[in-house]
Parts: sequence; C-alpha cells; structure tokens
Amino acid sequence: MAGEKILRVVDLCKSFHRLEVLRHISVDFERNEVVSIIGPSGGGKSTFLRCLNLLETPTSGHILFDGVDLCAKGQSKHIDAHRQKMGMVFQQFNLFNNMNVMKNLTAAPVRIKGMAKESAEAKALELLGRVGLADRADAYPSQLSGGQKQRIAIVRSLMMDPEVMLFDEPTSALDPEMIGEVLDVMKNLAESGMTMIVVTHEMRFAREVSDRTIFLDGGHIEEDKPSHELFAHPESPRLVSFLDKVL
Amino acid sequence: MEFIQTMGKLIVRYHSFFEEGIVNTLIIAAFTVLLGTIFGTLMSGMRMSRILPLRWLAVAYIEFIRGTPLMVQLMFIFYGLPMAGFTLPDISWIPNFSRFAAGIIAMSINSCAYVAEIIRSGVQAVDYGQMEAARSVGFSHSQAMRLVVLPQAVRNILPALGNEFVTVIKESSIVSVIGIADLIFRTNDVIALTYKSLACLAIAALCYFAMTFTGGRLIALAERRMNHGR
Repeated sequence: MAGEKILRVVDLCKSFHRLEVLRHISVDFERNEVVSIIGPSGGGKSTFLRCLNLLETPTSGHILFDGVDLCAKGQSKHIDAHRQKMGMVFQQFNLFNNMNVMKNLTAAPVRIKGMAKESAEAKALELLGRVGLADRADAYPSQLSGGQKQRIAIVRSLMMDPEVMLFDEPTSALDPEMIGEVLDVMKNLAESGMTMIVVTHEMRFAREVSDRTIFLDGGHIEEDKPSHELFAHPESPRLVSFLDKVL
Repeated sequence: MEFIQTMGKLIVRYHSFFEEGIVNTLIIAAFTVLLGTIFGTLMSGMRMSRILPLRWLAVAYIEFIRGTPLMVQLMFIFYGLPMAGFTLPDISWIPNFSRFAAGIIAMSINSCAYVAEIIRSGVQAVDYGQMEAARSVGFSHSQAMRLVVLPQAVRNILPALGNEFVTVIKESSIVSVIGIADLIFRTNDVIALTYKSLACLAIAALCYFAMTFTGGRLIALAERRMNHGR
C-alpha cells in the first residue's frame, strides 16, 4: 500500500557527550520506498541509521515503527522483537566468524522464530541462489571475498523477512570490482518492493535506484526530494558544493 | 661432570623427598587451576556485568589482588583468618588438611583475578561488530554472547589461560612458607641433610621445568584440537 508510513522519525536528537551529532531530525519513510541518505563524512548519516534500530540510543525524540514508539518507556524490552523486523547491513559485513554460511543464515530464524531447521536451510539455499552463491553454503566467512560476504550479509537479514532493510555504507569497504555485484543485489531487492534506507557514497545508486534522496549535513536534513530532482536541481549551496566534489 | 654425578647420587638417595614434593606441588596446582578457572569465569562475568555495583566489586577485587603480593595473601589466609576467628578444620584422614586448604584458597583467590582479566580481554578482543550484527537480527544480549561472541573469544582465551596454568605451577612454590611439603620445601630438607645446595636446587629446577614444559605441551595440544573443529 503506497503512502503508508512504516517508519516515522520525530524530532530526533543524538549527542555524544557534548558533541551534537543529530539535531532535531524529523522525516517519514513509506512502505516500499527506497531512500538514499548522502552527505559528507561526519554529517551524522551512520548515526542516524543506527538510531533507527536503536544500535545507538537517541538522546531525545521519537522513532515510530509500525506506529509503535521505540523510544517510549518500557519499549526497550521489546527491542529484540522490533529488530527482527528491521534488517541491517553493515559496512564491515559482520558475518558471524564462528559459523559457516549456512549457520550464519539459519541461526536467527531457527533460534528466534522457531523455524524448522530443514525449511530454514531450504530457504537459505533459495536466497543464496538468488544472489549467486548457492555453492558457498559450507564456506566460512574467512574464505569469502568482501563482495561475497556482503551479499551473504544481505541474505542473513532477508532470512528474517524484515519489513525494512537498513544499509550502512554497504559498499564502502569493498574493492571497486566487487561493488557492482552488491549493488546489483540491492537493486533487485529494491525492484522486489523492499523498503530500503541506504546510507551510501554511490551517487549512481542514489540517483538511479532510490526513489528519494536525503542530503544530511551538520546533523540535520539539508534537502529531501525525489532522487532525480535532487540531483538535477540541488537547491542548498552545501548540497551543490557536495555534489560538485563527488560527481 | 662431578656436579652431575652429585645430582645423580642425590636423586638415588633422596628420590622419595623429591617425589613427595612433586606430588604435593601438583596437588596444589591442580586444585588452584580448577578453582581459579571456575571462580575466574564467574568474576569475569561480574567484571563485564551491566549491573554497576557488581562490576565495581569485581574491579576492586581484581585490582587489589593483582596489586598485592601472593606471599601477603597467603600469610593473610593462613595466619590472619584464624586470628579473626575463622579456623580451617582439620580432617583426620587427610594429613595437613588445614595447611593445604589455606594454600589452595590463597592461590585460587590470586589466580581467579588473573583468569578473570584473561577472559575479559579475550571477550573484548572480539570485534564489537559481531555483537551488533547479532543484536540487529534480533538476538538478545545473552544469546549474542553465547552463540557468537564467546565461541570466538575462546580462541583468544585458551593460549593466555595456558600461560596462567604454567605460572600457577611455578608460583605454587610459595606455599612452602606455610609449611606445605611441596617440591621446594622438600628440596630444602635435602639441602639441610646434605649441604649440597646447588645440586639440590638444580634438581628442583629440572623437576619444575619438566612439569611446566609437559603442561605447556598438553595445553598446546588441546588448543590444536579446538582450532581443528573451528
């Protein structure tokens, strides 16, 4: 259903000690929407994304996920349940190093959702096939390339059937020739209708794949528009100079 | 050459002294390793706990124990506790039980603090991203610890723990000061009888080395087994 607001951020602030990283951010995300967040380093992009699933605790403000305020008192004990519905992909992949690929993928659905091991494995193989890695199910993370690790990290999140996927610079730690394979997976995911929020330095992905792009600088949203418009007609001078540097 | 002959004669004549000393040293070390590991694990749990008073208690304990000599701790347990009204019981069928108990308790209290720090640093050496990734798929903190972080920490912990065990064998020589007939205590007996102090000490050193070397090899073997199963 288009127009349904799956995630609403209201007046979000985050400071580390005296350093204000996010200043009064309010923004909505709709179901099936693909949103890119761009901006200079240190502008608060990653912190913002990590606040969404409470890997960072917001200093103040509200995050409404499916209408539930994650920051409300008493919600902290339900946070594990909320996180199951929010997939997260990290810059450093963070596959579980002590498990092989299959275990990485099936551990959460089996242990948390009580899914039968056989059906979890069947599902894992199916998803692995979709990202072109069905033959690596028995490999350990140390035996995989960065691009393979990241594709598997994406599958690990998908195993939990999340409603939203958060990507924290998913291609920044990759060798250039591996960026494409990860972006392809993300593009397919976007086309399948997944709601995605992507912090990225890949301007082409932001412009061509995402519906909307947010320019975050100095801890607040400078500009938030449909992607083609933001790239074609940037308004804020900071965005203009940022795009000048990166494009 | 003559020196080695002297050593040989001493061993032939006084082997029962050295044997008894080795057995007692091993008894003390084995119990210390066992208790030190059990309580050290619990202590490291307290040290990393999110409940602040528990954590402070553990920090205070670890800092204090590591910052005072084992000799003092041993004396405190053996002489101080009875003065304060805690007497360790004698058990008739175990000779010298109260002495051994005091020695093992003091050594364990000491080793516990070191083991706790070894485990803590092993756990904290695991990349924090592993914990975050586990939490992000919906695991609770304790599930993430059990399934993801601890299995990786074990590989950091084992080698350092092996070192600690070897250290315990050597450090146990200190219990001779409260009259436990360990290897160094019995070595002193033989010195008193023969006046051959250098040869006796050489024998003791060789015995200690044989124990620590064997212990070290056994631990290395266990490590290789662990790594095999990934």
